[in-house]
Amino acid sequence: MSLVTELCNKEDLLSPGISSCIGCNVELTLRTVLKVLGPNTILAIPPGCMGGVGVVGWGKTTGAKVPVFFPLLDNVASMLAGIKLYYEKIGRDVNVVAFAGDGATVDAGLQCLSGAAERGDKIIYICYDNEGYMNTGFQRSASTTKGAWTSTTPVGEASRGKKQHKKDLPLIMAMHDIPYVATATPAFMLDLVRKVEKAKSIKTGLAYIHVYNPCPTGWGFLPAMSIHMSREAVKTGLFPLYEVENGKFRLNYKEKKSDVKSYLRNMKKFAHLSDEEIDEIQCKIDEKWSRLLYLDGLLIGSDGGN
Amino acid sequence: MKDFIAPIGEELYIISTGDWRTHRPVKDDNKCNQCGVCALYCPTGSIKYDEGKKFWINLDYCKGCGICEVECVRKAIIMVEEEGRKNG
Amino acid sequence: MAKYVVMNGNMAAAMGAKFCRPDVIAAYPITPQTPIVEYLAQFIAEGELDAAFSEVESEHSAMSVIQGAALAGGRTFTATSSQGLALMYEPYFRTSTLRLPVVMAIVNREMISPQTVWGGPQDSLTLRDAGWIQLYCEDNQEILDTIIQAYKIAENSEVLLPVNVCFDGFYLSHMAEKVEVPDQELVDEFLPPYYNCHIKLDPQEPISVDPLTPGSLLIEYRQKHMEAMQRAVEVIKSVDIEFGKVFGRCYGGLVADYRLEDADYVIVTLGSMTGAAKEAVDLARDKGIAVGVLRVRALRPFPVDEIRKKLMGRRAVAVVDRNVSFGWGTGILYQEICSALYGISSTPIPILPYIGGLGGEDLTIDMFNKVIDDLKKAGPYSENITTRWLIRGESK
Repeated sequence: MSLVTELCNKEDLLSPGISSCIGCNVELTLRTVLKVLGPNTILAIPPGCMGGVGVVGWGKTTGAKVPVFFPLLDNVASMLAGIKLYYEKIGRDVNVVAFAGDGATVDAGLQCLSGAAERGDKIIYICYDNEGYMNTGFQRSASTTKGAWTSTTPVGEASRGKKQHKKDLPLIMAMHDIPYVATATPAFMLDLVRKVEKAKSIKTGLAYIHVYNPCPTGWGFLPAMSIHMSREAVKTGLFPLYEVENGKFRLNYKEKKSDVKSYLRNMKKFAHLSDEEIDEIQCKIDEKWSRLLYLDGLLIGSDGGN
Repeated sequence: MKDFIAPIGEELYIISTGDWRTHRPVKDDNKCNQCGVCALYCPTGSIKYDEGKKFWINLDYCKGCGICEVECVRKAIIMVEEEGRKNG
Repeated sequence: MAKYVVMNGNMAAAMGAKFCRPDVIAAYPITPQTPIVEYLAQFIAEGELDAAFSEVESEHSAMSVIQGAALAGGRTFTATSSQGLALMYEPYFRTSTLRLPVVMAIVNREMISPQTVWGGPQDSLTLRDAGWIQLYCEDNQEILDTIIQAYKIAENSEVLLPVNVCFDGFYLSHMAEKVEVPDQELVDEFLPPYYNCHIKLDPQEPISVDPLTPGSLLIEYRQKHMEAMQRAVEVIKSVDIEFGKVFGRCYGGLVADYRLEDADYVIVTLGSMTGAAKEAVDLARDKGIAVGVLRVRALRPFPVDEIRKKLMGRRAVAVVDRNVSFGWGTGILYQEICSALYGISSTPIPILPYIGGLGGEDLTIDMFNKVIDDLKKAGPYSENITTRWLIRGESK
C-alpha cells in the first residue's frame, strides 16, 4: 500500500467542511496529522487560523472527531502539560498534541513552550508557520521573513516591511535537549508523515515539529500554487528540512537548487523588494545553509541519555 | 441541542464548502495513472480512494482551489468553471 | 486522640491540600507563598503525597497546567500571591467560567508598586469579580480546615466553581500557631473522589471545549454561573456545619461573629486583623460598651442576607479595610457592606470607612480602640462618609 492509499483509508478526524481559505495547506497539514495520530488524541488549537475556521466548533458544536479545545494564545504547552500529567498519573496513554500557529508559538507562547520542553513534558507540539497572524489580518510575527509586507510592517516611504530576520525557533527548541525536533512542509508529505509518526513514538520528552505553510491569502499568490510554493521554499533553502533526534542533527533535503529571487517575486508580500534587498535575503540563506551543512551528522545536543 | 452548564460542543460542525467554488476539478480517467498525488495534496480531503473506483473526486466539500490541477503530473485534472447555482 | 502540631499558615495550607489528595499540583514560588510550594514538594519527595508536581516556570503556566489537568478530570491545587495572581489573571478568569472546581490558596500580599512583599488582601479583592468563590481565614487552623471545605464546596454538583482560600501574608503565612491535624481517614470520608462529568477532555467521549460562542449563548453561560454562585451560599453554610459535625470545628459559614448578639456597635473585618479587633472589643466590653465584631468569611458569593440580618438595627458600623479602591476613595469591603445595607432601614445606619494596615503595617489594638471611640461618637450616615486612615503615630 502506498502512503497516499494508506492515508486515504484512514478516517478523516476533522469536519469535512471548515471555513479555511481555498488552497489552505494548513488545513491539509492538520487533516494529515490527525490521520497519522489517530483517534486516541487530544488536540489543542489556540486562537489563530485553525481556531478561526471552526476546528474547535461554534456554539454547541465541535469541528473535530477527537477531543479539541481552545487554550489561550500564550499557554498551549502548559495546558497540554497538565492534561498529559493527569493521564500519565492514571496510567492511560493518550496523544496530547498542540497544533498552533507561529503567533502562539514563536511569540506569545514561547515561555511556556520553553518551560514544557525543559521539564520534559511528553507532548507533541506542531507549529504551523504561515509567518504571521494570518487569521486576524496578516500582522507580523517573529517568524515573518525579513522584508515582508505585513499589516503591522507595511511598505511605504518610511518603511520597507519587517525589519528583522526570522526567529529560528526549531534550533532554539533543539537547544532545549528535547528528544525530537523537526522541520517539515506539506509539499514533502512523505517526510512530514514520517516526522509526525516519529513524534508520536517519543516517550521521553517533548517532540517539536515546525511546519512551513505558505499562505495564499496572506502572502498574495494563487491558491492553486499552495503546494508549489511550499516545495520552492525548501528548494531555495529558505526553509531547510532537517531533524534533530536525540541531539543528532540530520539535514533531510540537501539539494539547494533554486535561488530565492523568483520565489520571492512570485508573491505580493515581497513584491516591493529591490534586488539589493533580495540579495541580502539570499546571503542570509546561503550563510545559514553552509552552517546547516556543517552541522549535518553532528551531535548538537544531549544524546537522550536523560 | 443539549443544555450545557459549561461551554462545550458535541455535534459536528460542517459548513457546505462545496457551495463556495467557482471552478470544479474534472478528471480525465484516460490520462489518470492513479498515482494519488492529487489526493495527497487536497486540503479538504475531497479526493477519495476505494477499491472499486480507485481515486475519485467527491465534490461535496471541494472549494475549487485548483491544487490538484497544478500538482497532477499527467495533467489529468482540469478546473472548469462552475455552472450557475440552481434555484431551490 | 487529637493530634496537635505547631505550624505556620503556609504549612497549614500545604497540609490541608495534602489531605485532600490532589492529582496534579503546579505552583510557582513567590514571597510569601514560597514555603507552600516547598512543603508540597517535600511531602511528595517523602512519599506522603501521591501527586504529579509540575515545576512550572511562571504563575501563568501554573494555572494553565492546573486547568489542563482539571479538564482531563483531575483534582488539582495551586497557590500564589499578588504579582503571581496578577500574572495568572488570564487563565484565572477562565477557570471559573469553564466551571472547573480548582482550589487555590492565595497568600494575600500587596500589589506592586511601590515595591512590596508584605501582607494584605489587595491582590485577591481586586479580582473579586472573576467568578471564583473567595473565603478569607482568620487563623492557621481555619486555613487547614477551609482548604478541605473548599474542595467539598467546589466539587458540589450544584456549584462546580473554583475556590480561593485566602489568608494574610506574613501575619498568618509565617506565624506559627497550634493547629489540630485531622485524620486522613476522616478527610477521605468527608471528601470522596472527584469525577468530572461536565467538561472532560477524553478521547473515549470526544467533545470540544470552549468553542467560539455567540452572545446569546454566552449570556446563558453567565446566568448559569451566577446561579451556581448563589447556590454556593447554602453549600458553604452546609459544608461548614457538616465539617463541624465530623471534625468538631465550625466557622459560622459565610460570616463569623464575636460578641455580636447585643452589640450596638459593630466592627466589620476581613482576615487576620480580626484578632486585634476582638482584643479591643473585649477591652471595650469591660468598660460597658456594647460592641462586637463581624468577620466576613466568604467575600464571594457576597453574603448579603447574612450581613443584613447581623447589622440590622445597630447604632453604627465600622468597616476596616486593609486595601484600597482607588476610584471610590474608600476600601473595597466598605463598598460591599454599603451595598448590602442599602434600603434596609429608612434612616441609614452610619457606616464608617477605615483604611489601615497597608504594606505590612500592623492594625493594632489601639487603632481598633480608636475605631470604637469613633463608633460611639458617630453622627448620622451622611457625616461619616469620608475615609479615616489608621496610620501608626497619627490619629486622624
